Amino acid sequence: MKTLVLVSHPQLADSTSQQFLKASLPKQDVTWEHLESQESFDVAREQDQLRQADRIILQFPLYWYAAPAGLKQWEDDVLTRTFVYGDHRFPLADKELGIVVTTGMPEKAFQRGGAEGLTLDAALSPLAAVAARAHMRWLPTFPIYQFGYLEEPEKLQLVVDYQRYLTQPQPDSLEQRQAWFTHKLPAMIDQLPPEQQATGRLIQAEFEQQKDDIEALADTLAMIKEQEDD
Amino acid sequence: MTEQAEWLHTQIETLASQQAQFTDRAFWLALDKLVAEQDRRNDQLQGEVDGRTWRPDRW
Repeated sequence: MKTLVLVSHPQLADSTSQQFLKASLPKQDVTWEHLESQESFDVAREQDQLRQADRIILQFPLYWYAAPAGLKQWEDDVLTRTFVYGDHRFPLADKELGIVVTTGMPEKAFQRGGAEGLTLDAALSPLAAVAARAHMRWLPTFPIYQFGYLEEPEKLQLVVDYQRYLTQPQPDSLEQRQAWFTHKLPAMIDQLPPEQQATGRLIQAEFEQQKDDIEALADTLAMIKEQEDD
Repeated sequence: MTEQAEWLHTQIETLASQQAQFTDRAFWLALDKLVAEQDRRNDQLQGEVDGRTWRPDRW
């Protein structure tokens, strides 16, 4: 799967959350681009990048219940009517659109009656409408609330949750999570120092065994349910 | 947690603590969490299989 990450942030170098996410990027199959660092957009190139990607991620801090102005500029310049739907070819059809949004307020603020009074889904509805118009598939949003307050264990978890959001097939089920780790494990074991590789392989074998056990149990259960129906 | 799961958890935790890179440590700790989830799911499935097999009305 090819993922394109488009980051909109007016002061990227000063943003600890954006720098953290950049350092967390998966090493393969991900293209990362900062919108504000381009003086003007090479529309043909931008559109070509969109055509090549299977999953497109828009990543930004929430400013006044919307993305920063740089993303809107990109939308206005790159997502031309003809490109998105005008000629009825829908080049973005069936691609996934995911939103990574950072907020200064906590999760509980984003609900009716909360400090912000609206949900993130409501705030992001103009982007969801664009996705619908382009016949794209809208992914559940990946919000990062109050990055500055996260403790180390939460930051460690964020690294992998973010990587999975960028590259793991949907839906985010146990089955898909297991498959993602199965795919990643060989390279992670290879890069371990030689004296740790045996442990790495043992862990991998045990993990795969657990996966098979769960699958076998699920099969047994399906069989029992089938018999109960008879 | 079963003895086997406990053992696996310790192995992963030790390996994670030996990683110098933050993102590498993150990978192994996330795997540790997933293994705990596997363990839970295994328990629940096993429980459901047992529960559905226990049918006194069919004795």
